[in-house]
Amino acid sequence: MRVLIRHESILLLVVIIALFTLSIQAEQFATIENLLNQGRFLTEVSLVALIMTFVIVTGGIDLSVGSILGLSAIILGVAWKKMGLPLPVAIGVALSVGTLAGLFNGIIITRFRVPPLIATLATLALYRGLAEGISQARSIRGYPDWFFILGQGELLGVPTQLWIVAFFTIFTGFILGYTTWGRATYAIGANEIAARFSGIAVNKTKLFIYSASGFAAALAGVIFVSRVSTTRSDMGMGLELDAITAVVLGGTSIFGGKGTIIGTVFGLLLIQTLKNGLSLAGVKSDGTYVAIGFVLILTLLISNLFNRSSEG
Amino acid sequence: MILLIHKMEGNMKHYLTVLTSMLISSSMAFGGDWTGGDDLPTNPLPCSGPAPAGEAKAYDGGSPTNAPNRKGKNITVVDVPKLVGIGYFAATTQGIMEAAAEMGTMDAKTDGPSEANIDDQITLIDNYITQGVDGILFAANDPGAIAPVLKKALSKGINVVGYDANSDPDARQWFVNQAEFNGIAKGLVDNMAGEVGSGGVAIVTSTFTTPNQARWISEMEAYSKKCHPQLEWLETVEAQEDNILSFNQANTLINKYGSDLKGIYGMTSVATPASADAVTQANQCGNIAVVGLATPNAMRPYVKSGCVKSVVLWSPVDLGYAAAHVLRAVADGSLKPGATSVKAGRLGELSVINGSEVLLGAAFTFSMDNINDFDF
Repeated sequence: MRVLIRHESILLLVVIIALFTLSIQAEQFATIENLLNQGRFLTEVSLVALIMTFVIVTGGIDLSVGSILGLSAIILGVAWKKMGLPLPVAIGVALSVGTLAGLFNGIIITRFRVPPLIATLATLALYRGLAEGISQARSIRGYPDWFFILGQGELLGVPTQLWIVAFFTIFTGFILGYTTWGRATYAIGANEIAARFSGIAVNKTKLFIYSASGFAAALAGVIFVSRVSTTRSDMGMGLELDAITAVVLGGTSIFGGKGTIIGTVFGLLLIQTLKNGLSLAGVKSDGTYVAIGFVLILTLLISNLFNRSSEG
Repeated sequence: MILLIHKMEGNMKHYLTVLTSMLISSSMAFGGDWTGGDDLPTNPLPCSGPAPAGEAKAYDGGSPTNAPNRKGKNITVVDVPKLVGIGYFAATTQGIMEAAAEMGTMDAKTDGPSEANIDDQITLIDNYITQGVDGILFAANDPGAIAPVLKKALSKGINVVGYDANSDPDARQWFVNQAEFNGIAKGLVDNMAGEVGSGGVAIVTSTFTTPNQARWISEMEAYSKKCHPQLEWLETVEAQEDNILSFNQANTLINKYGSDLKGIYGMTSVATPASADAVTQANQCGNIAVVGLATPNAMRPYVKSGCVKSVVLWSPVDLGYAAAHVLRAVADGSLKPGATSVKAGRLGELSVINGSEVLLGAAFTFSMDNINDFDF
């Protein structure tokens, strides 16, 4: 546990240094308006990354989240416009389809014992294909104004979706850190066979986690549609990599058994801070990517160095 | 260990069979006669003779709120194309830089996503709004998705002009239209009909969601039905704007349809040369015609070898050049709603169409006779 805390404190330090440096470099960066606005862009990847932390802690991975986002967005549009359901019902349908897509991942992984990497790589293609097929590649638009409150509106001066992210963060942080569900998640990642013999319902836990991952992606999809006011089948492409990057940067071990929600939150903050701050400081997007890659490697190296010396 | 792998493979096979059968059934369910076009109404040109004059339409663009007086002042402009790193948008950037250098009162820079991705493009524009620029030039990856962020730019008093790929009209002030959709469609279909006479033709496009391509395909379908019904449409395939994928997709079409395939339309500046390459490598030059949108430099080897007879395009350099001039004119206040034309440097007077669009000119066909006169 001491080792984990160390990684997160190093990360926090890096975040603070980045915030400080960038606010000197770009005067528009450290304004309340800009920071809150960045929260909007952070929402979709945050929701997915929070649950992805659970997935990776069990030693698994979910590559299909971007495709589930796209599929749910399309289902939302089709259910509302083509099938004529009221929009709140259509949102419910989209969230259910996303959850079922996640459950399907879980079933393939637990029942057929397909490694999660391969299973979700396959469903990444499957769900994206379904999204394109169902939508016939047409975008769906013309949503009523009240729907845009979710992605473009504000509540008490803070972007609406940030409240959802805040709730999700506290909720998942509590589950992973303080409940038997959380301890079961760690146990599965640390040693699945031992966990099975200790009487932990390994398959049930995994099914639940992959379903939650599908739900989070679907919710992100609904918010994304509300933010950009249109539905397209290519939404969320590449989202899985952004989410996994944040989780791993946050100190979650890709081999499972280790990781925290707060680490993931710091990881998300660091990446978005760099993206936005460097852009405002006048660095073009290609330069920004190079800088992000560099900081990622550096942070992980420093953290490894400290951890090794404390273990040795 | 080996046993374990065997067991995994067994499971995988089983699972992949299930998956494959699901995929096949779903693609069959979604098949049918859909061509990859959009649902908007089409307006095919007459088969021969001049185009009828369009009706005048009132200005339907947006306007910035409380824009400062920028007349004659130095302005900073950011150009956000669909993506960076491809020849086509490198050429529009070149045009913008030429115009900026000529004017001497515009600091322009190009910054775009590395993939044609709506979210990256939106985030990028938003950052430039926060940074505080005077003008934004854009080529939209999606007309609707980009609208909220462009409206935000207008609300901050920023001048917004689009080129190449439009947004919703009220989310920007003006749009520089490279060529009208039905004009491009006529150019492509007429050239194809002239080369193959009759038979099966297929399309290699970027993605079905790309607005320009979907629009062209719709117009091509309408014009083809009206003027060249002997051309039979076989299939439209997606190849993003990716070289290798385009080549593979064209290759698949050649193998799949054999002698039924008489021609391939390339809908992007990437798909057309890749299709020409696939036809060349399959030794089908002369049997399968390739007609498409592409830049002359990429097509020169295939036109010279005689494998490709006609390439349709406008000049992307001129497109960028015109967009920069239109932005300058809007910032100066010399281009106002209701104007019927605008001066664009060496291009002379460009006319206003469809309410709030500036038309660059007619589509141009490159062939063996003139392709050496162009370098972009």
